[in-house]
Amino acid sequence: MSTSIQLRKVVKRFEALEVIKGVDLDIEPGKFTVFVGPSGCGKSTLLRMIAGLESITGGDLHIGGQKMNDVAAAKRGIAMVFQSYALYPHMTVYKNLAFGLETAGVRRDEIDRRVREAAETLRITEYLPRRPKALSGGQRQRVAIGRSIVRDPNIFLFDEPLSNLDAELRVQMRVEISKLHERLGNTMIYVTHDQVEAMTMADTIVVLRGGEVMQVGSPLELYNRPANRFVAGFIGSPKMNFLEAARVATDAIDVAGQAIQLEPYQLGRCPAETPITFGIRPEHIVLGGEVGQALGEARVDLVEHLGGSTSVYATMPSGASLTVLAPGQLSIRHGETVPLRFDAANCHAFGPDDQTLRN
Amino acid sequence: MSNEAHALPGQASDHPYLRSAILHCLLIAASFVMLYPILWMLAGSLRPAEDLFGGGASLIPSQVTIRAYTQGWFGVQMSFGRFFLNSLLIATLATLGNVFAASLAAYAFARLNFVGRKFWFALMLGTLMLPYHVTLIPQYVLFQNLGWVNTWLPLIVPKYFAVDAFFIFLMVQFFRGIPRELDEAAQMDGCSPWRIYYKVMLPLSLPVLATAAIFSFIWTWEDFFGPLIYVSDMNLYTVQLGLRSFIDSSGTSSWNELFAMSVLSLIPIFLIFLFFQRLLIEGIATTGMKR
Amino acid sequence: MSVSERSPAAAGNGESNALARSYREAFRRNAPGYLFLAPWLIGFFCLTLGPALGSLYLSLTDFDLLQTPNFVGLQNYVRMATADPKFVSAMRVTFLYVVLSMPLKLGFALAVAMMLNRGLKGLPIYRAVFYLPSLLGASVAIAVLWRQLFAADGMVNSMLAIIGIEGPSWISNPRYSLYTLVVLSVWQFGSPMIIFLAGLRQIPTDMYEAASLDGASASRQFWKITLPLLSPVIFFNFVIQTIEAFKAFTPAFIVSGGTGGPINSTLFYTLYLYQEAFGNFRMGYASALAWVLVIIIAIFTAFSFLSTRYWVHYDE
Ligand SMILES: Nc1ncnc2c1ncn2[C@@H]1O[C@H](COP(=O)(O)OP(=O)(O)O)[C@@H](O)[C@H]1O
Ligand SMILES: [Mg+2]
Repeated sequence: MSTSIQLRKVVKRFEALEVIKGVDLDIEPGKFTVFVGPSGCGKSTLLRMIAGLESITGGDLHIGGQKMNDVAAAKRGIAMVFQSYALYPHMTVYKNLAFGLETAGVRRDEIDRRVREAAETLRITEYLPRRPKALSGGQRQRVAIGRSIVRDPNIFLFDEPLSNLDAELRVQMRVEISKLHERLGNTMIYVTHDQVEAMTMADTIVVLRGGEVMQVGSPLELYNRPANRFVAGFIGSPKMNFLEAARVATDAIDVAGQAIQLEPYQLGRCPAETPITFGIRPEHIVLGGEVGQALGEARVDLVEHLGGSTSVYATMPSGASLTVLAPGQLSIRHGETVPLRFDAANCHAFGPDDQTLRN
Repeated sequence: MSNEAHALPGQASDHPYLRSAILHCLLIAASFVMLYPILWMLAGSLRPAEDLFGGGASLIPSQVTIRAYTQGWFGVQMSFGRFFLNSLLIATLATLGNVFAASLAAYAFARLNFVGRKFWFALMLGTLMLPYHVTLIPQYVLFQNLGWVNTWLPLIVPKYFAVDAFFIFLMVQFFRGIPRELDEAAQMDGCSPWRIYYKVMLPLSLPVLATAAIFSFIWTWEDFFGPLIYVSDMNLYTVQLGLRSFIDSSGTSSWNELFAMSVLSLIPIFLIFLFFQRLLIEGIATTGMKR
Repeated sequence: MSVSERSPAAAGNGESNALARSYREAFRRNAPGYLFLAPWLIGFFCLTLGPALGSLYLSLTDFDLLQTPNFVGLQNYVRMATADPKFVSAMRVTFLYVVLSMPLKLGFALAVAMMLNRGLKGLPIYRAVFYLPSLLGASVAIAVLWRQLFAADGMVNSMLAIIGIEGPSWISNPRYSLYTLVVLSVWQFGSPMIIFLAGLRQIPTDMYEAASLDGASASRQFWKITLPLLSPVIFFNFVIQTIEAFKAFTPAFIVSGGTGGPINSTLFYTLYLYQEAFGNFRMGYASALAWVLVIIIAIFTAFSFLSTRYWVHYDE
């Protein structure tokens, strides 16, 4: 039932501007795939090319094994949910849901059955006679999803569907969309610039930057083994700390005068003395204690008490700034100097080309 | 600092009520001057004929009578009823054509992608400035060869080919304001461009369609030049032509009947104005144009 | 996938096959646009571009609507420039009309728009009253009214009589007849006024507040804030209204009974063109007149646009 998607060297140019620069991608059937990346990186463009709303400048798009480059949007078996919902303002919710089926010439009683079924699923039955402008943001969102469900497509596309909702609703809808995916089991592609959404919803995350794929993998793969400095910094919150370093031995680096022991595989085949970047996530730094090895000391600039955890912003003697996320409630103060420790298994090293050194 | 210390001289805060009262007086006086001629014509049409110009500049007739209307109605060989019916038919058909053809072209310009779109659009804007006199004579020859002279066809048929770029421009401006995602959603819903046009665009564009229809109706109704050169059979006369032949046939002797028919000829425009004022004003303000 | 595989020639020649496909693709992509544009395109070629070129040709002939036109070169234009006092007179009248009515009309429009833009109560009513003449003004009825207003025993003279002045017959006196039409044009200041109002709305009020805190007087605010920020709208109104003024026809026709009299004093350019074309059937000459009008309008528009950099203020 569910459908795979393959992109082969897909390119998109708007006049002279190359927006998608040769993307290769395999989207597995039935998976929830999230395209994530900073705004303007080409997520929407890529999604719209899959949908058929944007022509493909170069390369091939296969859906369910068939080449789809020049197939009209409506014939690709795809439904899309837009950021602004794009509900037809002059039609009732019922009409909005029925419109695509009417266009396809589905019989009236069949339309009615499917519209009511979708409305039931999304708990919008009572709003069917209303116009979209009489609905709240969350309700409109449901209608927009309903409109894509009734057509029973093979593939669902979502373009930042939650970004117009407030924080609480966003979390709620996130869960609902995930449940929907579980129940329907269709291939879904979801575009967002919010890495938290990506981490919480995705089976597979595709990280994009400047029209190129940076890494593809499950959320934990991206978190544990980022392929490059960009993904390392983009996934995870607060952001990973990056410190300038140099390799001094096959298994040791120097971070501002502090020698650090790593496993040789973490440094790969990087020649000695080259400048590298040492990366460690805030939640992997420990303040004081005896575990792991020393990273040096830092002076505390600011402490944020979140209750369940504490964020500490500090400056190393080298001038590099650092964030530490410690569990629980700490009683450190601004101006104190704290010793930093970490476990070598949790750290990352990136070469001069910003690629990870681990092999 | 201490702006309160030296109160701002000459600002509205001095005597707000006095200033706005003065402004209102000025505007009311100006309104009166603006409307006076029209009211004077209305009053004149209700005066008895013997009154002639005895009423002078006064707005109040010595005696109110509708004789000018009943007599003026048949003041020319043909009844004005015929002229009104003709004008109504022509204006209605022309309006339908304008709205239909202009909305098609505007949809193409605003929403569809095709080679040469910018080029055609620039040409279309260029025709906005072109005086119609430059196409007048060859058009006349064309219509004469088609046997259309002394029919209404030259007044109506061109409208079905969107010759008046103003309406295209007006609608393009409006269509561009409709979110593109709606078209795209419809496209995903399997709509052809035609179905998007009449199921999504047109229903959402009712205000601009109404504005275009109203302008089109008024301008066709008021058009004098077109009927003047194309229509010579009195059976086919429009109201404007009827008024003209009234002047020619009666001179100034039956001026109050002429006034009466003139007033009647303005009534449709006035009614439209009364009911659709907001649309007209928005239409002018958004395109910044009006003949 | 490919449809034309049946033909051995096409199948053998992959290049022409690909070409055929790209043509089909181009057709698929462009067809809807051109279908929607078709009525306009037909109209553009058959009723605008074709006739415009046709009249350019006719302007070089002696066409009289009955006989086949004879090519006469630039003779029509030469006659216009050297041997047609009526043409000169029509030019003079039209330019005078434009030069007199434009500043007054736009001035009134701006002044009233500024008065109305002060957040007064009853704005919609005032606006409607001032706009109404613009809407009615093009009709024969209003031209009829104007004839009577300025007749020897018309309303204007009745009013003047009250204060003891015996007015002339404005319409039939060549010294005054054009001015009655200027007044008619100025009376219709409503539509530029609405455009000005829309433009004034765009000027943020905090700009005035800041200026008055700085102690700028009302007149200084007008010259330094209102005029510069409104200049694009002023420019726009100026161009559009002037072109419309060049094309004015109905009032002159009705007020003068189609003659342009007395003594050609209301012989608008378009009226003269009409007389030549449909009175004297000098279609060739009338076509030349039409093209001269186009050239005048083009030159005027070009100069207006060139002048914008000296006085029109655009936000980046
Ligand atoms: N129709 C278009 N014409 C020209 N440039 C475009 C068009 N659509 C998008 N772009 C450009 O392509 C880039 C990617 O856009 P988009 O895919 O919308 O980014 P994202 O969705 O990741 O924020 C942007 O730089 C944007 O300016
Ligand atoms: Mg986007």
